[in-house]
Parts: sequence; C-alpha cells; structure tokens
Amino acid sequence: MMSNERHIASAFDRDLEGILIMIMKMGGLVETAILNAATALDTRDDELAETVRRGDAAIDTLEEQINLEAARVIALRGPVAGDLRTILTVIKIAASLERCGDYAKNLAKRSVLLSQMPAIAGASGSVRRMAKAVGLMVSDALDSYVQRDAGFAAEVRQRDLEVDQMYTALFRELLTHMMEDPRNITACMHLHFITKNIERMGDHATGIAEQVIYLVEGKLPDDDRPKDDITAARAPGIGG
Amino acid sequence: MNDMSRTESALDTQTNKITARGVQVHYGANHALRDVNVDILDKTVTAFIGPSGCGKSTFLRCLNRMNDTITGCRVSGEIKMDGRDIYDARIDPVQLRAKVGMVFQKPNPFPKSIYENVAYGPKIHGLTTNKAEMDEIVEKSLRRAALWNEAKDRLDSPGTGLSGGQQQRLCIARAIATSPEVLLMDEPCSALDPIATAQIEELIDELRSQFSVVIVTHSMQQAARVSQKTAFFHLGNLVEYDATATIFSNPKDPRTESYITGRIG
Repeated sequence: MMSNERHIASAFDRDLEGILIMIMKMGGLVETAILNAATALDTRDDELAETVRRGDAAIDTLEEQINLEAARVIALRGPVAGDLRTILTVIKIAASLERCGDYAKNLAKRSVLLSQMPAIAGASGSVRRMAKAVGLMVSDALDSYVQRDAGFAAEVRQRDLEVDQMYTALFRELLTHMMEDPRNITACMHLHFITKNIERMGDHATGIAEQVIYLVEGKLPDDDRPKDDITAARAPGIGG
Repeated sequence: MNDMSRTESALDTQTNKITARGVQVHYGANHALRDVNVDILDKTVTAFIGPSGCGKSTFLRCLNRMNDTITGCRVSGEIKMDGRDIYDARIDPVQLRAKVGMVFQKPNPFPKSIYENVAYGPKIHGLTTNKAEMDEIVEKSLRRAALWNEAKDRLDSPGTGLSGGQQQRLCIARAIATSPEVLLMDEPCSALDPIATAQIEELIDELRSQFSVVIVTHSMQQAARVSQKTAFFHLGNLVEYDATATIFSNPKDPRTESYITGRIG
C-alpha cells in the first residue's frame, strides 16, 4: 500500500522528486534517441545518426547521477517500505534506460554503414514502425511509474507481445531477402542486429513496467511475461 | 532476500508464549487501548512501535501487570502466558514479574553495589541462600548481559558509578538474574549513545535464544534491526502485526506506511 502523503521532512520529498525528474529526463532522451536513430536509418540521414551517437553520453551521465543520488538517499534518509521501493526501482529503471540508450547508439552506428549499401525494400520502414512502438512503450512505462499506475503498467507489459511479433515478421522478411540474393546478406545482418536490439529495448520497457508493479504492489507480477519470439526456439543461438 | 528470511525464520519458534485477546485499558475515563489481539511468540523479539500515546507502553505494562500499580487503571480482556491467565486472582503479581522481567527507559540501578543489584531479585524470590550459588548467578547474569569483563573487578562498587550504557546492561543483568521467561524492554536504548545501543541490541539478539523479548521503541531502525515481529499501534489500536521484514518493506495498512516512512498519518 503506497502512501501519497508528504513526508514530515520536506527535504526528503525534494530528494525523491529530484530523482524522479532525472529519470523522466533520461526517459525523454532515450525515447528521442530511439525515434531519431530509426528515422536516420529510414531516411539515410547520417547527420541525425551522428547526433544520436553523441547524445548517448548525456544518458550515461544521467544514469550515474541517479545512482549517486539514490545512494545518498539510502545513506542519509534510511528509506523504508514505499520509499525504499521507489529508490530500488529507480536504480533498476535507470539501468534499463541506459541499455536502451546503448542500443539506440548501436542502431545509429549501423545506420551510417547501411546508408552506404543498397536499400532492402521495406525493411527500414518496418524497423521504424517497430522502434516507434518500443519508444512509446518506454515513455508509457515511465508515465505509469510517475503516476504509480500499476494497471497502466500491466497494459504496457502486454504490449511486448506485439513487439515480439514485429520482430519475428522482420526476421522472416530479412531471411527471405538473404536467400533471394546473397549480396543482401551484409545489410540484412546489420538490419537483423538492429531489429533484435529493438526487441531487447521492448524487454527493457517491459522490465520497467514490472518495476512499477513492484513499486505499487510490493511484489513482482508472478505470471510469465508474454512472449512470442519464436526465432529463439527455431534457430538456437539467435535467441537471448 | 528470500534465503535471508528463510534463515531468520528457521531460528524462530512458532510457539505462542503470550496470547492477548480483546485487551482494553482505561485510565479513568480515558480509553487508552482498544481491543488488542496479539500472539507473542516464544524465543522471538517482538517490537512495538507507534507515536507517543498510542498505547504501546500501556500494552507492554499489561504483560507483567505493572498497570496494577497505577490508580484508576482498568484492564479487561484476556492475557494468557503459556495458556494461564495472568490476571487470574490466584496469580501473585510479584511471582509473575519474576517470570516477566522488565527493563526501563532510563537505567535505574539500585543505590547498591553491582553485585547486590544483580543478587537482589534471586534473593527476594528465594532462588538461593547459598553464597557460592549466588556468586554463580551473579556472574552468569553479568556475562549474559555482556558486563562481566567490565564489572568483575569492581563488583562491590556502586552500580550508579557505571556509565549509562553499563548501567543499562546492569539493569538487564538484574532482570535476567531471576531467569525470566519473558523480558519486557521499554525504550531501553533511548538514553544511550550509539555504541552502547549497539551492545544492547547485540545482547537482545543473544537473549532471544533463551527468552521471548518484547521491546517498545521509538526508533524504527532499532525495531527493524532487532526484532522478528513488529506491531504498530496507533491511537490505542493495534493497526498491524506482522513479520518485521514485511512491516518495513511492504506494510498492508496505509497508516503503518505513513508512520514508518515519516509522513503525517
């Protein structure tokens, strides 16, 4: 049972609010990085890709600041119950966002390479749609965190299924292109890594939504997370 | 985390030492405690927390009938220790208090020697008349209270000459000298520095292998550190009673959450 009342020590509230502001800022940067990286890929915009690559440092710095601030609150305020869960979840969420930032950066790097190769028909548009869905999952998961809305978080968590389906569809598409013309293999391999990384971002967004459920209800959801990533089962070594 | 709590619970017995049912306390017209039901486990540290005036000390004092000494205080309901009603007319409160020892907020050694402070209880309860046996009880009690090494060379000097933390450990030695089954502690560390507090807390943890310890504390960190079970009292009601780890990580009642996280409840 979370309490929404103010602390008697108002400085404690200010500390917690400060951390929440940082995590929202970090989430905003990550969402932009995901969308920009996918746009750069789709429009072959190397300059935009370069912006995404340079922007990752700011995300990493925010994660560091959040961890320092969380450690300070633990040391000085001795948080318990809901306050403790707020701090524990903020550390995990910051780590998830940092990973998403890395994936976006990786996408941008590959996008610069791909812009030198012949385009694979339809693929970059599908990647962009998938990135859009994942970017929205990340921002919705963070909204549910700030609003402490476990119901909304559960809904976000279910959306990982769609992302998995998009990944599976793209995987088949890329496979077809490679079989049709071996000259497509290099580009398709890059696109596949990109797709897989976006799928991983979806898992991180799901993880954030699960942290929201833990924050509000005091326990993680115990049912298995929705999964429809059949490639892992069909082709050992690709899953993960 | 799960492994930790499993280790903790492996140490605990699930035997009830004290069972309280429908306990009500009135001080004159003031209804201080309302309908408290609680099972206190044997060989377990139980902490009572709550804001001032919530009834936690009142309830603690019911457990060894210390409230009998307060005029205008009326206790109703049922409190049983090992299945026997402690408010039964046939129970002698003095004998009861030998079984249910108590340590208070401020160290209150008798103005006597260290030795006599500890020997006092066993003497009045006639546990022994033999000098050698008494020496043994005194040494054993001081050892269990972690005071022996500091006190063994000055057993004849006055207890009041010890430091605050030592005095409190002397009071604990005095309380355990009669081999009680339950030890009640009413804010035993509130007058002590952090080192002395840590020593008392270490002692409490050792004592629970032999007795059931019930501690009233205003320090929630202390309750979290020393107890296995925690009860939260508010406005004379027992709001929530659960495993300490649950109370401090995921309390059920919003009043508990508000109190332990330092919000206005």
